[in-house]
Amino acid sequence: MLNRLKKKLGLVVAMAVLGVVMAACPASAVIQGVTGTAFNFTAKPGYIYGGDGVSIYIWGFANGTGVVQYPGPTLLLHEGDNVSITLTNSLTTNVSMVFPGMSNVAVTPGGSGVPGIITTECPPAGTVTYTFTAANPGTYYYQSGTDPALQVEMGLFGAIVVYPTGSFPASPGVLSQPGHAYNDTQGDSAYDREYLLIVSEMDARIHRAAERGIAPDTNGFFSVYWFYNGRNMPDTMGAAGDPMLPTQPYNALFQMHPGEKVLYRIVGIGRELHPVHPHGNHTNLIAQDGRLLSSGPANGADLRKRLFTIPTTPGGTYDTIFEWTGANVGWDIYGHAPGDPMQPNEFAADHGKPFPTPIPHQQDLMPGQLYSGSPFLGGSGALPPGEGGFNPTGAYMHMVHDHVEKELCNDGIFPGGAMTIMAIEHPSVPIP
Amino acid sequence: MNKTALWFIRGAVFCALMYAVPSMAIVDTYCPSDLNGDGISDDPDVVCRHITGGDGFAKMADGKDLYVFGFGDATGVPDGEVMMTNMLGANTPAPTIVVKEGQEVYLTLSNVGMANRPDLFDAHSVHWHGFPNASVYYDGVPDASVAINMGASLWYYYKAMDPGTYMYHCHVEVVEHMEMGMVGNLFVTPLQDGTAFDDPTDSVVKNFTKFAYNDGDGTTGYDVDKLIQLGDFDSRFHDASISVQPLPFDTLDGDYHLINGRGYPDTINPDPIVNVDGNPYQPEDSLVTVTQGQRVLLRVSNLSATEYHTLRSLGIPMKVIGRDARILRTGGDPAGTDLYYYTSSVTLGGGQSYDVLLDTTGVAPGTYFLYSRNLNDLNNKDERRGGMMTQIVVQ
Ligand SMILES: [Cu+2]
Ligand SMILES: [Cu+2]
Repeated sequence: MLNRLKKKLGLVVAMAVLGVVMAACPASAVIQGVTGTAFNFTAKPGYIYGGDGVSIYIWGFANGTGVVQYPGPTLLLHEGDNVSITLTNSLTTNVSMVFPGMSNVAVTPGGSGVPGIITTECPPAGTVTYTFTAANPGTYYYQSGTDPALQVEMGLFGAIVVYPTGSFPASPGVLSQPGHAYNDTQGDSAYDREYLLIVSEMDARIHRAAERGIAPDTNGFFSVYWFYNGRNMPDTMGAAGDPMLPTQPYNALFQMHPGEKVLYRIVGIGRELHPVHPHGNHTNLIAQDGRLLSSGPANGADLRKRLFTIPTTPGGTYDTIFEWTGANVGWDIYGHAPGDPMQPNEFAADHGKPFPTPIPHQQDLMPGQLYSGSPFLGGSGALPPGEGGFNPTGAYMHMVHDHVEKELCNDGIFPGGAMTIMAIEHPSVPIP
Repeated sequence: MNKTALWFIRGAVFCALMYAVPSMAIVDTYCPSDLNGDGISDDPDVVCRHITGGDGFAKMADGKDLYVFGFGDATGVPDGEVMMTNMLGANTPAPTIVVKEGQEVYLTLSNVGMANRPDLFDAHSVHWHGFPNASVYYDGVPDASVAINMGASLWYYYKAMDPGTYMYHCHVEVVEHMEMGMVGNLFVTPLQDGTAFDDPTDSVVKNFTKFAYNDGDGTTGYDVDKLIQLGDFDSRFHDASISVQPLPFDTLDGDYHLINGRGYPDTINPDPIVNVDGNPYQPEDSLVTVTQGQRVLLRVSNLSATEYHTLRSLGIPMKVIGRDARILRTGGDPAGTDLYYYTSSVTLGGGQSYDVLLDTTGVAPGTYFLYSRNLNDLNNKDERRGGMMTQIVVQ
């Protein structure tokens, strides 16, 4: 057991944020990013906040001359787009960009580029324009191609989502909309909502060294912070664009209704392996590294696997479709009486079946802040004074977390790290 | 600790608990299909299990007594005796739970407190890791549901509809409680068991009657199954816990590397390992003994709080037929296309499981090894030639 008071204070703040997000700011259900085909990025230093409130020095990409962000701006592209990124370097060291999985990657002549080991680099105060074709739909990323052991660790990376022809969201960056992730005709990649999950880690000593201008030791790497979309729990569950986290604009808070298909686009951007474990159900791994798990062009995702833990590898991307209906739970998750009307996508065989066990006396239970007080979806119930209250809609708040369990810490303080929530909402609760 | 001292501590803590916890707190088994009050289900379609959450000791292969948290088995123990018998009853790993597809499971979890850490008031829970379409209430995550305080019982219900290799663990203070040892094995056996199938992909004709999944063709059939749960303990963390020091979360890194809670050569000891209190609380060896021609199902899982592991088979090919409690066919569907493959290793992060067949047809009698290829796992702290390794003996 840890210092429970300290922990509780942290959690209460986090859950208060979550409660507000759930109640008033539901537009969190999106992949936030930038659209277009011509981008201007600036590489620059800055600071982010760990989930423990400690500020951490980073290098990152900014959109245009805006604030640096961790991770960099997510590019939301169409299949076939010819994209250019003009990179300006405000760091004191060379920097560059590489685009794994993209086609026709080139550097536009005429900039201030200098040869690097794996790509043309941009010297301090210089400008280089990279171009590529987003030839195939899927989930990708960009990163620094210069001293990546240090520069990717420092934060010079971001995600790329390439939507297939005919499946670009009408309002990208605003709403999570139904679509298909790939051009399969079988419907294996069809989804109702999509979310991005970029997994990264940090060794704080490297960042402290870089901040002081000391040559960082990237070999004795030992991570102490683990991130989803650039935030640690509890900030993962806060609002996107939170002004308290100006350099970490992306949150990682997920919502769905029973019966929906949710596409998680998972990016393992760091140097470690991380097993991502969504509570609540298995998930269907349909693609890796921007390619459908398919034995042939016409076969759909016939090599897809149904997993309860998605192991990410360094630099790998994973598209996986999560569904949840409550089928075969063995009791009516809505607490219906036998004659009551059915909810959409309710599992008919369990309709009207009673809750199967007694519930212990309140004083014997430790209820969580996200517990509604009721075992039923959309339900509510009495909670001890000062407990709970951050689940006003009675959602099933299933954790999504890194199952190298120690990674649920922020620099040695539990809870924290690579953890967030998938809120399965009652069908009557709108999710934008 | 000698037995007298142990019982003295148990008595003292029991009295303290009785005094400290509210009067409604009571150990109480819930088993609606128990007709005669022995805590055991009298309906073959229903399973009742009673486990306790608490602390205790494990013995590492180099003789080190390690303070652990863990689950103990209280199935069939009269409610009034559970606190006394299961205090300091942490098993490493937790009691294995095996149920049949279609069975309903009533699991009682009683919190017997931490006898060695009377300053702790930790709750416990059970997370059935990977249970399909889980409700939140029975999922055991304390942030989103409930956990049980000391001296009281919480009741879980599951309808086991999907066969496979699962695991379970406490989800309260989850880094600490998992590192401290609150991890266990959980299997669901398929309805197909008992029906005879000859695996058509096999070179010999043999009717299997036990299967990993409802494959419809015998391709997941086996003669002998063995649980292989990989894990690590960081002794500095455990020693800090027993001496009431700040817990070193920031440097967590295993120095004991375990299969079913034991390091080699304890892994191949068919007897329970007896802990410092004289109790047989490490009951699970991982020695596999087979007759040539038999097929072994390894139910491999990783519940390490700190590490990935690559488990390698030396001399007997591995055939991977399941992952994460699903048959390895398209979409995990028994009606899908086989995605089985042969290999000599499987790599698992925390919370993953693999079902692996080892066919000993044509394998010369002898001793074969199953070991972690993370070579720094092959020790018991400072003692070399130990750790995450076990044997398959073909006779
Ligand atoms: Cu626990
Ligand atoms: Cu788990």
